[in-house]
Amino acid sequence: MKFISDVKLLLKITQEYVNAQFTIAFSAIFSLLFLLYCFNFSEGVWRPIVLVFFAIYAATTIYVWLTSLVIKKDLAKHREVTKRSRLLGIPLILTVFAGNVFAAGYGFMLASKNKTAEYTFAVYAFLTQIFILMISGLNIFKPYVVDTFILAMGTFIILAALYLVTAILIARHVTVDTAPKWMLPLGIVLLIPTLTGNFFSLLLGITLIRKARNTDPSAVEKWQKTWNKILRNTMAVFGLFFIVFMFSLSVVSSWTFDYDFAVENNYAVLLQTPTLEYPLGTDNFGRDLFSRIVFGAQISLIVGFCATIIPALIGGALGAISGYYGKNTDNIIMRALDVLYAIPGILLAIAIIAAFGANTTNLIIALSVGAIPTYARTMRANVMQISNYEFVESARALGANDRSIIFRHIVPNALAPMIVKATLTIGGAVISTSSLSFLGLGIEPHIPEWGNILKVGSTYLESHSYLAIFPGLCIMLLVLSFNFFGDGLRDALDPKSN
Amino acid sequence: MQQLFFESFQKNASRKSYYFTYVLLGLLVHIITFPIYMVNRSKSTYAENAMNVKQQIIDSGKVIQWQQQYEAEERTKAQFFKQSIIEQEIAVKAKQLAQMKLEREAEKTLTTTGILKNSYKNYFSNLLKQPLFLLITIIPGIFMYALLLITSNPFIRFIFERLLQSVFVIIGVATLVFTILYISPFDPARNLLGVEATPAQIENFNKLYGLDQPYLVQLWHSLSGLFTFDLGTSFAGKEDVTQSILNKFPVTLEIAMFSLLMAIAIAIPVGIISAVRPNSFIDYVFMFVALIGLSIPSFWQGLIFILTFSLELKWFPATYNPNNWMSIVLPIIVLGTSITASIARMTRSSMLEVIHEDYIITAKAKGLSERKVITKHAIRNAMIPIITVIGLLFGGMLGGAAVTEKVFNISGIGSYIVDKQFIPDIPAILGGVVYIAITISVVNMLIDILYAFFDPRIRSKMKKS
Repeated sequence: MKFISDVKLLLKITQEYVNAQFTIAFSAIFSLLFLLYCFNFSEGVWRPIVLVFFAIYAATTIYVWLTSLVIKKDLAKHREVTKRSRLLGIPLILTVFAGNVFAAGYGFMLASKNKTAEYTFAVYAFLTQIFILMISGLNIFKPYVVDTFILAMGTFIILAALYLVTAILIARHVTVDTAPKWMLPLGIVLLIPTLTGNFFSLLLGITLIRKARNTDPSAVEKWQKTWNKILRNTMAVFGLFFIVFMFSLSVVSSWTFDYDFAVENNYAVLLQTPTLEYPLGTDNFGRDLFSRIVFGAQISLIVGFCATIIPALIGGALGAISGYYGKNTDNIIMRALDVLYAIPGILLAIAIIAAFGANTTNLIIALSVGAIPTYARTMRANVMQISNYEFVESARALGANDRSIIFRHIVPNALAPMIVKATLTIGGAVISTSSLSFLGLGIEPHIPEWGNILKVGSTYLESHSYLAIFPGLCIMLLVLSFNFFGDGLRDALDPKSN
Repeated sequence: MQQLFFESFQKNASRKSYYFTYVLLGLLVHIITFPIYMVNRSKSTYAENAMNVKQQIIDSGKVIQWQQQYEAEERTKAQFFKQSIIEQEIAVKAKQLAQMKLEREAEKTLTTTGILKNSYKNYFSNLLKQPLFLLITIIPGIFMYALLLITSNPFIRFIFERLLQSVFVIIGVATLVFTILYISPFDPARNLLGVEATPAQIENFNKLYGLDQPYLVQLWHSLSGLFTFDLGTSFAGKEDVTQSILNKFPVTLEIAMFSLLMAIAIAIPVGIISAVRPNSFIDYVFMFVALIGLSIPSFWQGLIFILTFSLELKWFPATYNPNNWMSIVLPIIVLGTSITASIARMTRSSMLEVIHEDYIITAKAKGLSERKVITKHAIRNAMIPIITVIGLLFGGMLGGAAVTEKVFNISGIGSYIVDKQFIPDIPAILGGVVYIAITISVVNMLIDILYAFFDPRIRSKMKKS
């Protein structure tokens, strides 16, 4: 390792210090928000729960600030973070129970010197599980819970413990390019919780298995390098965390949430303000807003993913063909797609839905059709560039036919920009879905979808504004997460920045 | 003048599509000149010359040399692919290849000596040089000459091609939207007249609006209606569709234009500041805010704005009123937010790319101040991709206007389309969508053409081609 004399430069490249800055900023912002919200200006009373949260967040902010000072001192004195300072990270992990994922993530990062990609996966798998546990746990204040509730909660606790143990084991035994052989069964076990939608667990399992088997070191290294680049971007990690959390929550919600609270009318509790039983209040039919938002995530994610994958496949194939063959094929395909490109996506969707009716399938089709040209253009540009490389020429000289050249040699090498583009456009698809639902052109009105919830909320804007605020916040957070993750992916996969 | 025609024909006829169009447009002329050419062809000197040149090459012994070379190549190739070597086949193949090379060589020598291959293309371009021929054929071939004139200048040709492309795209858009609405399973007659309508009433309705006609006839009516600005009356309310669109379009366009201005005024300075100080605190804050702006659903933003600025603070009215300019402020901000965010991000990345170019280092090295380097060299080059993106985003903004208009209760074109879609009111939706698409196409076309004039790189590329 090179000797770096400049402390300022050392601070810049020390991940713990950079992370601390982020954590201070976010914790401070949240404390401020809590401070603003803890006093009810119109009625002149304090909100004690919010005040407690403010105290926790403010304390966390100060604590993190102190640790950042300690790191600074360590770096100036010893040129690395000392073991004693690392112990300061452990209490921060507890802030996850106050919902401060930034501080908890920072705590984990500070606590271990050995930061492999697996460690980060295990940590965030744990954090995701704890979040799901807490969100699902709010259901105990309901009059009744679903039958599978206890079982599911038990499983969540076991899984959380498993992730925590794995994280500790990884910190002790896994290095950047090797893992002990006995981790192989652990890796296989970790593939199972993927069924709960926890993608961190899947990534963790795959990486551990590959490392423990160690059959193809170069592939392991490449995989590791890419992920390290993505994980170095703090915001991308939080984006991925929120996406996985939302996805996992929407997968497990059917075992811990009662769908009846979300859709059955309950005239005894119309338009209630937030209480423990109804954490986000109830709407004009007495339906629990909290359950509705949780189930709404399912629809938004399904539509978002489908409306991204379908056009990516169709547009990708068209773009690859037109980029590879060029000339007349290219001209015909691209001119046809120009027509689609000339109509704004939302307007085309409105026209298609006007013609075929508003339901989920039509919505997916309508959103997909409008997105085809952009994917085709991206793919075409990549394929045109890659077709000129020597390996394509040699494949052709070896007698490979066009189909195998396109799909086995060119497309895999042209995928990175497509993945980035897809990640960045899922957010757009989520927004379009809720926008169309808001206009009454998307998901059927009886299904709890974020746009539909907002539509109800917009009519009670003056009296019960929380009905409109919370679902909108969820949409924004989900889209923001996709954008952050997409940006991180782009920075990691973009050959220009390599 | 004849030189202009001659050059234009020579240059563009090498492209098949242009040659075909020239022949098609000047068919009356070609009908006469082509038989004359056929008659005259036998007297050509080209074949004779070619024979001579070929004989010369054969005599010099080059052909045998080539043949041996090809034979050796074929043998190594067969060996490499582990194929059995059949001498006879190889000899035949090598001879073929040598003959082909001979043809090519002969043609090459002939063109260098200035003797052109005797084709109709060359014959006709020579005719174009004669003033008398032009005078005689100017009336029957007027269209062809017009096209020749247009294509004689690379700029005008580019504009012409771009215009043609836009026209095709617009026709395509209209056909596509009409087809989607045509194959709709809904029956506007039944939706409008209600379930109690008698079959006779429905038949009457369909006849009135031409819905009983075959697909192509309806399509033709719609297309010609679109281009003559006469789309008939809407199904519901019987209002003149073109007139309603004409009434509603200015509001949408006004809000979109103001949003665009706001976006440019805010986003470009923000993007430049971020790019000049990358990874600084201010850069992080700007880009974080931009990402939030990109992630916020516009209808929710509208609701939140109404809640805070109209209901709580009472600064702006909650709904749009044409007589109150204050009421247009919120819609402009809401519609412009996501485009502001996009432009700011785009400006930053474009600027960052330019700042790392070699000519910026040169500018710095020759002692220009940082300010001058940025304003004079970086910004101007970085603007090129940004303007394209602005053009494309403008389209998205007109599409997204529907949502904002609904939130603020503005009766613009977007909310008009949304209101009409329940029936579905085919002429109204078709008109609304296609006129928006036309606006977008025209804007993008203008941007492309402006580029051709302002970007020296594109200009020089065009001159070369």
